Parts: sequence; structure tokens; C-alpha cells
Amino acid sequence: MTLTLRARLAVIATTVSGLLLGTLSVVSYNVLSRWLDEDLTARLTELTDGLHGYLRFESGIPTIEYNVSDTDQASFVHEATRYYQIYEAETGQLIVQSPEVTPLGLSLTKGEVTLLLASPLPSDISTPYGRLRVLNSPVPSPSGRIYLLQVGVSLTALDGSLGRYRDLLLLLTPLSLLVAGAGSWWLSGLALAPLTRVASAARDIDVATLERRLPTRGVRDELEQVTRAFNETLARLDLSIGEMRQFSTALAHELRTPLAALRGEIELALRASRDADLQRSFVSQIEEIDRLTRLIDHVLTLARAESGQIPLKFGAVDLGELAASLVDQLEPVAHARAITLQCDARPGVVAMGDAGWLERLLLNLLDNAMKFTPEGGRVVVRVSHEGDRARVDVADTGIGMTHDVTAHVFERFYQADPSRSSASGGAGLGLSLVKWIVDRHHGAIAVQSEPERGSTFSVTLPGSGRRHRV
Amino acid sequence: MRILVIEDDGKVASFIQTGLEQEGYAVDVLHHGNSAGDQARAVDYDAVVLDLMLPGRSGFQVLRDIRSRKPSLPVIMLTAKDSLDERVAGLDAGADDYMAKPFALAELSARLRALLRRGTPRESVLRVGDLEMDTIRRSVRRAGSTIDLKPKEYALLEFLMRNSDRPLTRSLIIEHVWDIHFDSISNVVEVHINSLRNKIDRGFPIQLIHTVRGVGYMLTDSAP
Repeated sequence: MTLTLRARLAVIATTVSGLLLGTLSVVSYNVLSRWLDEDLTARLTELTDGLHGYLRFESGIPTIEYNVSDTDQASFVHEATRYYQIYEAETGQLIVQSPEVTPLGLSLTKGEVTLLLASPLPSDISTPYGRLRVLNSPVPSPSGRIYLLQVGVSLTALDGSLGRYRDLLLLLTPLSLLVAGAGSWWLSGLALAPLTRVASAARDIDVATLERRLPTRGVRDELEQVTRAFNETLARLDLSIGEMRQFSTALAHELRTPLAALRGEIELALRASRDADLQRSFVSQIEEIDRLTRLIDHVLTLARAESGQIPLKFGAVDLGELAASLVDQLEPVAHARAITLQCDARPGVVAMGDAGWLERLLLNLLDNAMKFTPEGGRVVVRVSHEGDRARVDVADTGIGMTHDVTAHVFERFYQADPSRSSASGGAGLGLSLVKWIVDRHHGAIAVQSEPERGSTFSVTLPGSGRRHRV
Repeated sequence: MRILVIEDDGKVASFIQTGLEQEGYAVDVLHHGNSAGDQARAVDYDAVVLDLMLPGRSGFQVLRDIRSRKPSLPVIMLTAKDSLDERVAGLDAGADDYMAKPFALAELSARLRALLRRGTPRESVLRVGDLEMDTIRRSVRRAGSTIDLKPKEYALLEFLMRNSDRPLTRSLIIEHVWDIHFDSISNVVEVHINSLRNKIDRGFPIQLIHTVRGVGYMLTDSAP
């Protein structure tokens, strides 16, 4: 699947924004959680160290003593003793435990006490009421006994804040991505709009309107460079096509004038001659000159057509009527060759085109079909709709063509069987003119053929945009 | 009838002169257009044959010169180009008719005759020998018996009758009876001439439709 440049730009911009946003979210979340974590650990250490200062040993039992009237002390001890417990290290006996700890089921066995004394690092414990971070520290009593002081802080607030922050990121990141996507689509559209304008202006220029130029805006940006380069190419094309036109005009003059003189003198000689053999010779020469003239006409018509010197006048053309009228006019010609000529036209098939050139198109196809159809054969023109396009098929029961021939049949001067074609007066130009007419009408032409069975030429042309109801 | 021929190619000018003189016209030839206007004013010509491509001044300029002095003098333009555009431009510039080279002398004289006859009212009943055409009732009779013609056959016969006794070329016939695109169709004229012969001439001792070799066809009741 190929995307438009605009879509590709938007996708790239959105992907980059997405990656940035994602990285930013992950990094900020991690940094924030680390900072909060470190702060909490520091606070835990502070609480533990502080609590050590308030520990007194009365008859060997550690108790906490502080000045109740000192609010600073009171609030500190209150915070530090929210989660705490003290064990006798040797026996593992619980000395004191804050009431908050008891329902959490965090009481320690003797083995655990011994183990914890060896690891003074803070550790996290999950409880049914949220996580708890605890710091274990040994407390030596004056009597030489070792106690384990475990102080804890709740991680619930931290987990809650981080959770909300994560939710916020999960909501904001896709939203921002959506905004970024829409923004890049709009921006790339904005950036490419002048290019689209240049493209549509360029599309309107064809060989007949080469003198046109793309509009420049007088600013020095990349687009202006493209426009200027295109205009320079147009100028060069215009020049060479102009030279070609001059050449074909000069060629026409140089060929026609001597032919005119030749034909005139032979005609005068024919008038003066009373000798039958000479007359036959003169007539044959005149016929040759006429044949040469038609050939020059065809070549020059094609040359002028292809260099855009033939303007087409577009309008709605009823193909059915056109086909019927041509079949009517050609019927005597077909009859003289013992060929059945039929027209099978649906009513209201209207093409957008130049009436004169479409007539030429049909005439050339019909002439071609009749030329290659032997006596007793049949030529049928069918006119029908194909979607909103108009379709004309010219089918014959003639000699047909091999696949090799159909591939070349629209080439100039191509003749499947030169001996046969020259006998019927063709020069292999009729079908290349047909192709040119079809192309200028933005139509399509196809040929299906089978040797000894016949050929069908199918032309589709743009419809007139409205169907004529009958 | 005096005709002025302005044509730079000596050979073309010479055969036009010879051919037209053989048909009874008096012919003057100019090889360039510089003095054409003065010449046209000085001499009372009946028609001008003017080449479009002349050295120095274009045929269009010469045509304007002539027109400024003799507005109603019939002018046939000759050109070595034949595109429809050229033709329209020539007729727009004030030429009365237009011919592409090479052309048949017979066609030139037919067109000249048509121009010279211009202004005389078109007859509604045409007669050649015992063949009669009523162009108002669109009926054709020979020796009193009505002949049924298809529309193209009728148009062809009318053209032949209006130009009777003069040979008409295939291209002239196609241009007047069909349209220029039919020029590419092989033997459309021949076929219609044949069917017309079957209806007009078959069974009559005098043949009216004649083939003029090297030129085309002619309708006449006096055998050439």
C-alpha cells in the first residue's frame, strides 16, 4: 500500500511525537518514583535514628521516653512509633509492638529476628492494608543485651500518588498523541498545499498549451525552485515543439508545391493527349500523385495532432446517432463489397468529445473493418454504456490478426500485410490517428482478434456526465 | 473573363495559366504580391487566384490590399498547408474560397466558375438532357418517369447537375456531399456514383454520368 506524501509525513511526525511522549512519560514516572522512594527511605532512616535517641532501658527493657509537653518531640515520636516493634535478639521475644503493627500480622519469629539483625537495609513488606517499608537496627542495652528495633513507614501514600500519576500519563499520552497526529496531518497538508497547486496547474498544461507557465510566488524556497525548474523545462519543450511545428509547416510547403506543379503539368498533358496508352500512363501518374498527397496529409495531420496544433472543441456527442448516421452513409459501400453493415446502438449514449474527430474515429474504424472483411462477412457497430462511460465496439468477421500484429496495430506505418494494405490504398496511419483521437479524449482503446475469425476494436470514452433519457 | 494569378512558384503559375487559358479565360500572372493591389485596381479582373505563401509579403496582406481597392472581387486562396485552421483563417481574412496544393485543374476551374456565377439566383429546377430535378419538391425524373433516390444519392446528383458539363474531382465531391473526414474512406464516391448510374443511366441509350480519367466524374448529355 502506498500512502500519499502528506499521510507519510503525518505518520512520521506522529510516530516521532509518540516516541518522545512515551519516553518522557516512562522516564518522568521512573524518576519521580525513585525520588519519592529515596525521600521515604531517608525519612525512615531519620525516624529510626531519632527513635534511638528516645530509647531508655529500665530494668533492661527498652522503653521510649520523651517530653510530652514538647509538641515537636511528641509529633516526631508519634510518627516514628506508628509502626515499630522491639524484640530481644537472643530469645526472639517481643518486647513492645505498636498497636498498628499487631493486626498486620508482622510479628517475628526468633529466626527472623536473628536474620534481620544481620541485614540492616530497609525492606518492603506487603500487608493486606498496603505496603510498609521497615528498617531494622540493633539496639545494644547497657546490660549488654542486643535488641532489634524495627521502624516502619507506610508506602500507601507514595503508591497512591504514583498510581494517580501513572493513570494521568496513561490518559494524557494517547490524548497528546491524537492531538499530535491531527496537528501533523494539518501541518503537512499546509506544507504540501502549494505543491498540490503546482501539480494541478502542471496537469492543465499539455502540448497544445505549452506557452503557459506555473505561477511563481517570488519567494526563494524549495517549492519555488521546483516551480522554476518545471517552467524552464516547459520553455525548452515549447521551443523544440515550436521548431517541430515550423518544420512540419515548411515540409508541407516544400512537398506540396512541386507536387502541385507536377500534377498540373500531367493534367495538361492528359488533356492534350489523344494517345490511349499515354493517357493511361498520365492517369496512373495522377493517381500516384493523389496517393502521395493523401499520405502527406495523413503524416502532417498526425504530426500536427501530436504536437498539439489541432485544438479540439469538446461538447456532448450522441454516439448512437453518430454511429447510425455513419452506418447509413457507408451502407452502400458495404453493399458494394457484399458485406453486411449493422448498427446496434443503445439510445442516449453520450460522450464528451469533439464531434468532428469522433466521426473521424468511427469512420476510420469502420473503414478498417470493411477493408479486412471478405465478401459475405459482417461488420457490426455496438454503442453502449459502460458505467458512466460511453463504449463503442466495431466488430468484424474479417481476416483477423495474430497476437503479434495486435500489439503493433496502433503504430504509425505498421501494416500487417503490406501487399494487401497497399492494394486497398492504406498507409498504416488510420489506426494511429484513431489512437491519437482516443488519447486526446482521455479514452481507452483495445483490440481483440483471432486469425480467420475477425477483430473487435473497443473504445471507451468519458461520458458527458449526464445520461440522456429517451 | 480575366483572371489574375499571384503565385511565386513558376511551374505552378505556368500550369494554372495554361489550363485556364485552355478553358477560355484570359490570365495574368504575378510572381510576387507587391504590386497586386495596384494591378487589381488597374485591370478589371473577374477573379483572383492568390497563393498564401509569397516571398516578401504574405498572401493575407496581399488579400487586404486587393480587398481595400476591390471589395467584391472574388479571390480563391491557394495554400501548401491544408489544416482546417488555415482554411478558417483564409476565409476569415476575406477569401471567397480556398484550395490546398496539389489540386486538380478541373477543381480550380469548378470553384472559379462557382464564384463567377455567384449572385445569379439558384434555379429550382435543374435539367441535363432528359434528366430533371425539382429541388423544391425534391423529385427526380428521367424521360418523364420518377426515380427514387436515397438522400446521399440525391445530394450527389444535385451537385453533379449544378456543375454539369464540368469534370468534378473526388475531393470536391466529398467536400460538398459528405464532409472532409470521409476523404479517408476508400471508394465512398465510386460506390455512390455506381448506384446513381444504376438508377439514372441503366436502360437509356445516352449515358449522363461519365468518368473523366485522372480527374473524377462529369454529368453531361453531350459525350466528350
